[in-house]
Amino acid sequence: MIELHRVSKSYETGPVKVPALIDVSFRVAKGEYVVITGPSGAGKTTLLRLLYREEVPTEGEIEVLGRSLNGLGRAQVRALRRSIGVVFQDARLLPDRTVYENLAFVLRVTGTPRREITARAFEALRAVGLSARAQAYPSQLSQGEAQRAALARAIARQQPLLIADEPTGSLDEVMASEVLGVIRDIWAAGTTVVLATHQARLAAALRRRTLVLKAGRVVKDEG
Amino acid sequence: MFAFLVGEALRDVRRAGRVAVSAIVLITLSLVAAGGFWILSTNLGRAVADWKDRVRILVYLRREPAPADLPDLVGRVLAIPDVAAARYVSKDDALEALRRVLGKDAGVADSLPTNPLPASIEVTPSAGATTPEGARALLTRLAALPEVDEVEGGVEWVERLSHWQRLLTTIGLGLGATLALAAILTVTTATTLALHARRRETEIMRLVGAPEAVIRLPLLLQGMIQGLLGALLALGVLMALHRVAAPRLEPLMSLTFGLPRVSFLEPAGMVVLVAAGATLGAFGGWLARGRGVA
Repeated sequence: MIELHRVSKSYETGPVKVPALIDVSFRVAKGEYVVITGPSGAGKTTLLRLLYREEVPTEGEIEVLGRSLNGLGRAQVRALRRSIGVVFQDARLLPDRTVYENLAFVLRVTGTPRREITARAFEALRAVGLSARAQAYPSQLSQGEAQRAALARAIARQQPLLIADEPTGSLDEVMASEVLGVIRDIWAAGTTVVLATHQARLAAALRRRTLVLKAGRVVKDEG
Repeated sequence: MFAFLVGEALRDVRRAGRVAVSAIVLITLSLVAAGGFWILSTNLGRAVADWKDRVRILVYLRREPAPADLPDLVGRVLAIPDVAAARYVSKDDALEALRRVLGKDAGVADSLPTNPLPASIEVTPSAGATTPEGARALLTRLAALPEVDEVEGGVEWVERLSHWQRLLTTIGLGLGATLALAAILTVTTATTLALHARRRETEIMRLVGAPEAVIRLPLLLQGMIQGLLGALLALGVLMALHRVAAPRLEPLMSLTFGLPRVSFLEPAGMVVLVAAGATLGAFGGWLARGRGVA
């Protein structure tokens, strides 16, 4: 499903090269639930951004969903992204559209046939327990609901891979637990999940395979 | 998908608010200016074409030729290059024509002791002689005939009319182009504003792998919609102006140019005007396309 081989990523700020990831290698099998943890600035977000080709590695090779990401053209990047669902710490919902319209928007722009959009959107909303809030605007949702709506949007296209970057970062414990429950259900339904969190306790509580990043290096791969 | 893209474009037009309205108004003004001058120029062009058809050169003869000599004389005139037709007008015919012109005062002609009007040949020049140079050359050739006393007529004033027509077209194009440039810049600004308002959509579309056309087309369509609205408004304004002004201008046009009515744009012209508006708007949208999408 995912394979990284000796991947490094550094950013150039003037003459100085700042390493974000150093010699990272690991594999994620299909249907796995992998947690990436580590302190802020350890390189978690950079690592996830490499997986959906928002960033390009400075060195090494990455393979996601059976395709090598090295030297992908624009059209191939778009095709890759259509197979990946991504959620962030902030829900990034479109404020002037209802929850349903947020999902329908993504389905439409990715070419889902019109007659399938409503069914798919409601299927995703049911999966995250939000079908009753389909006509609510983002401003009318709690943070937990907004994050669940973002998850529904990420899985509405039934992608095989879900990448979650600090999805509970701005939530209280109750809401975080709700969101993690939804992610667990999505994984149980067959989706491969890669979740990044800086909360070590939360990572431990998930009891999944955990990669610990420190200063850009994988220092532990356990579980 | 197209309906969705148009919906997104309309949402962007609403978001751009006053700037979009300004763009539409500027497109309307530029097309009203260009279209107004176009209508004037087209009508002047019709007058020019009409008058070119009606240009006649009068060749006055020293004396009335004997009937036996007439075919030879008319034949020689017809043989001159750029003469399309020639009609002999006898002294009596000329006097009769004068009577018709005088109408109820025709008695004045009858009181003349002798007929003072000369016999003449009315020459219709061919298309080649409806320019000032062509006409001058033809007049010289006609004046060289030994029977000819004087030659009258020319196309200078028709050419002057053509000159006015060209001037109106140039002014219309110049003013229209200046306003069109302002309109394009305003559409670009409106689209750039929409781009900023749209950056979340753009970000999400990129994240989910939406095709490039789906990301960019709403911007182009947004400009095009503004252009179309502006053009339709311009067409409406021009129609209203024509309806109001034409009846007042027609007597003057009829008297000066012989045009019985001031015509509006042909259907094809209206299509061109609307297409021009859509193109202006789309161009503005296209110019803004890279500012926030990349």
